[in-house]
Amino acid sequence: MSLTDLMTMAKSNKELQKKILDQLWKVNPDECFQCMRCTSGCTSLKLLELKPHEITILVNSGFVEELVSSDIIWACASCLKCRERCPQKASPYDTIMALRNLTVEREAKVPEAYMKAVAQIIETGLTQQAQTVTSREMQPFNREKLGLPEMIYPNDKFKVVFMKVLGG
Amino acid sequence: MVQIGVYVCHCGLNIAGVIDVKSVAEYAAKLPNVKVVRDSTYLCSDTGQKMIKEDIEKHKLDRVVIASCSPRMHEETFRKAISEAGLNPYLLEMINIREQDSWCHSEEPEKATEKAEALIEMAVARASRLEPLEIDKIKAENSVLVVGGGIAGIQASLDLADAGFKVYLVEKASSIGGRMAQLDKTFPTLDCSACILTPKMVDVAKHPNIRLLTNTEVTEMKGFVGNYEVSVLKKPRYVDEDRCVGCELCTKVCPVKVPDKFNEGLSQTRAISTYSPQAVPKVAIINPNHCLRLKYDKDVCGKCVEICEPKAINFEQQPETSQLKVGAVVIAVGSEVFDASLTPELGYGHYKNVISNIEFERLSNAAGPTKGKILCPATEKPPKSVAFIQCVGSRDKRFCEYCCRIGCMVTLKQAILVKEKMGNDVDICVCYNDMRAFGKAYEEFYDRARHMGINFVKGLPSEVKASPGDSLHFDVYESNTNKLLEIQADLVVLASGLVPSPDFAELQNVLRVPRSPDGFFLEAHPKLRPLETPTRGIFLAGTCQSPKDIPDTVSQASGAAMKAAELLAKGEVEIEPLIAVVEESLCSGCRICESICPYQAIEMEAKTVEGEETNVAKVLAAVCQGCGACSAACPTHAIDMQHYKQEQILAQISAVVQGGKRR
Amino acid sequence: MKVAVYWGCKIPTAQYAYEMSVRQVFPHFDIELVDLKGASCCGGPVRSINTSAAMYLSARNLALSSQTGLDDLLVPCNECHFMLSEAKYRIDNDEEMCKKVEDLLGEEGFKYSSGVRIWHVVDLLHDVVKVDTVKAKVKKPFKGLKFAVHPGCQIIRPSEIGRVDHAEKPRKLDALVEALEAETLDYSEKLDCCGAALLYSHEDAALSLAGSKLKAVQAYGVDGFVDTCPYCHIMYDARQKEATATVGGKLSLSVFYYTQLLGLALGIEQEKLGLHLNQSFDSEKLSLNDP
Repeated sequence: MSLTDLMTMAKSNKELQKKILDQLWKVNPDECFQCMRCTSGCTSLKLLELKPHEITILVNSGFVEELVSSDIIWACASCLKCRERCPQKASPYDTIMALRNLTVEREAKVPEAYMKAVAQIIETGLTQQAQTVTSREMQPFNREKLGLPEMIYPNDKFKVVFMKVLGG
Repeated sequence: MVQIGVYVCHCGLNIAGVIDVKSVAEYAAKLPNVKVVRDSTYLCSDTGQKMIKEDIEKHKLDRVVIASCSPRMHEETFRKAISEAGLNPYLLEMINIREQDSWCHSEEPEKATEKAEALIEMAVARASRLEPLEIDKIKAENSVLVVGGGIAGIQASLDLADAGFKVYLVEKASSIGGRMAQLDKTFPTLDCSACILTPKMVDVAKHPNIRLLTNTEVTEMKGFVGNYEVSVLKKPRYVDEDRCVGCELCTKVCPVKVPDKFNEGLSQTRAISTYSPQAVPKVAIINPNHCLRLKYDKDVCGKCVEICEPKAINFEQQPETSQLKVGAVVIAVGSEVFDASLTPELGYGHYKNVISNIEFERLSNAAGPTKGKILCPATEKPPKSVAFIQCVGSRDKRFCEYCCRIGCMVTLKQAILVKEKMGNDVDICVCYNDMRAFGKAYEEFYDRARHMGINFVKGLPSEVKASPGDSLHFDVYESNTNKLLEIQADLVVLASGLVPSPDFAELQNVLRVPRSPDGFFLEAHPKLRPLETPTRGIFLAGTCQSPKDIPDTVSQASGAAMKAAELLAKGEVEIEPLIAVVEESLCSGCRICESICPYQAIEMEAKTVEGEETNVAKVLAAVCQGCGACSAACPTHAIDMQHYKQEQILAQISAVVQGGKRR
Repeated sequence: MKVAVYWGCKIPTAQYAYEMSVRQVFPHFDIELVDLKGASCCGGPVRSINTSAAMYLSARNLALSSQTGLDDLLVPCNECHFMLSEAKYRIDNDEEMCKKVEDLLGEEGFKYSSGVRIWHVVDLLHDVVKVDTVKAKVKKPFKGLKFAVHPGCQIIRPSEIGRVDHAEKPRKLDALVEALEAETLDYSEKLDCCGAALLYSHEDAALSLAGSKLKAVQAYGVDGFVDTCPYCHIMYDARQKEATATVGGKLSLSVFYYTQLLGLALGIEQEKLGLHLNQSFDSEKLSLNDP
């Protein structure tokens, strides 16, 4: 009977790591010294177990692969507390956004709601169509009924350029 | 015809790894007046120096060119070597083919070699025109000014005074003692700080060689090494130092309350008070911004006058300016504690029970506002739980990038003191990033703390929040157990770091000491000359140079004292002859040089030149720093710089523009 | 003063009360709002997809703003304000990004100009109109009422790029509420996030974050809760019931846009300020000066 090695012999991926680091501007995850300030104050720690310090050290060690196909990088609430308080300007928020970008680039798992928002922007320029809302007294209201001016959406030229940016 | 010896150093591979030193040597051999050319692995070594000396004797060389590292490294070494061989030390030309060539052009070895050849050609051109110069000796004062009366200034003063020098110890506050006087116990021995400090303070006051000037600041400094002229301003105490007996009855009757600076604002004192219970000198001082009589300029109150038996109160006292003549200066002005209200997320300045480490010292000190009892400032009750948070303002690119060096040890000490005073009645946790216990017996001290049941949490909190009853709580992620801890603390102590004082900016100009990027005063060399400054005769000691603890401060202070003593021991200092010289027959007396000189080193002198009565410029050799501004500005080319003559520099320019293969 | 206004996505398509109240109050301070024509999304959700695309979207709206010839742009949504401010900071300081964006804008015939001053409702009122002026115009003060303010995250952080208020001690919104003669509250949960960004991927967690803050605030016994962002308002107002369900207990906290309260204090009718659209407003518990 043989024993199984339960410790992950993780392999780092320098190429993917470079892709993440190249995307960052004025932010230096490699200067993180694991003080825990970011995780101690992270909005998504208690409910979603997001640990910004761990994301940072994983990227620094080149373990980008496991992050790219994970759920955890989508758990950031963008509250920016980590970006504000990090004493080393390592901003886990920016690293997480870069990881999300890489996930999209590699066509890996992305929450549907984001793709829907993007599709809507392509169609109308905004993330959603103008809605009819209900008041407290259950009456329907739209822009016209509320006396708000008509909306002017961007023209088709915008659609072309935006799709170009997404593609390129 | 001069006979030049050219020496090209390999500097191991530092130079030879990039530059083709053999080719450079061959090139040099073809240059005018070059008699001998050698290349060597390490010219600065014994062997290298021996070789140069032997060549000088054998080949009757009268000029030496050395192509190697920066003159800052070994110019002194080579000057000494050639003078041992009988050559005037100023007949040496050193050019830098390391820092200025091989090190910065390491990617382009061919071009680097070409550059080295050009540099050597320039050097040979100048060497041919170098002239012998003599070092001047100037009488030096047998006294030293020590600025700052904390433990650094106190130690330096005592060492210098014991060595026989006259010392002026100038202290801004109304008593000496500085930070150390505020501390309770010192790590790692837990000695009572005041007990080990006050004997030294008393020694200073009693020492026949030390003149103590408290409530005094340096306002101006003129002169040069060995002969500094310092103006100091003694601010009025409104109390006669010779009459006051330090009974402190005046403080008891004064009606005006003032925050007590010595107690970091945790208690109040009066408009007339003594700096601290163990002040030296033990003389009262009146705060003119709060004293009713001084503030409103009216004949009111006067309760202190009534009660003072020795009649020491004097509202008419004026500020006094004195001129001191000293040979050297030791700067020991200390530093400030980081203001934690700059990191408001930790609650300092908002919640009374969040305090800084220096405030804790006053709470713990038996002579402090709570007589040594650990009490929460908001409730005046003892805390059931205390949390220490490390690295406040330190290792933080938003504030101070450097490590404060003392935060960990101070917290360990304070945590141990709380445990010793309160035993199991209190829970203590220390939230840290790294625990730096680097010194002698420091690691053992850390062990002691762990033994006492103090909890060490590897992780820093993001923010501190209020709990009911003036208590506090915060979340902290403990990185070793991967658990989020919810810490409750009645008292939170922040390990605030040390920062340069805001008045360093002005002090820097008065004392002529530059500062490093972190704002502390700059040492001449971080490794090899940590006690000297770039200005000769001015030395540094203590935390004004960089944050450090008491043992390091005392070492540095004694070291700086020795440096000053070494400089002044012979009673004279050597002045390098690298100064401006006036050719009187060319001087038109226009005074442009006098007005342009940044050191006020030029005076006009009435003289008879070539039969005519005229005013000519005269250079004060000891003050001149050789900057060259006068020489450049002189419209008749009457001023030239010794060792940097126009002729020498123009020869260098011609050599590089017209010489060799380069176009 | 003429100020261009950029509404983003959520306000003009769903959070109508914010648009209504903003349009109602600013003319009282001699500020005329000029709508942008053909504005697009600021790029908020696109940041997670492609950073350059998000920067381009923000820059496009800044370019539209400079086309109006006005130097000042009001951005009432916290997220849009952050996206536009980030984009401006990056494009002004990163040559590479600047070139990328300028090329893209050129294809639509736009030109990027760094001269636009980006405002939010809070600092336009606090710093330009000034608190004393607001106070002077109050006709119907809220004497005796106490409100907890929610400064939000993205208009106070990250301080490095210049934000609307102090990152750790934001007080401008409090000062503006106090100008209406109401009391404000200093509370430890003040800087807690509403969780809206998590609606895209972790809806329950988002609602739980909002619910926890509402629960804490309610326990302090305040008369209302004040926000300045459509996302925060969606969490705390439109989805208050769902948020309550995630944390248990009974929650009933009236949540307002600051501009709604300001409008009421200026004497404007509730309906004009879209108060009927606030789901959480308990008009029986809290009577608010309806003329």
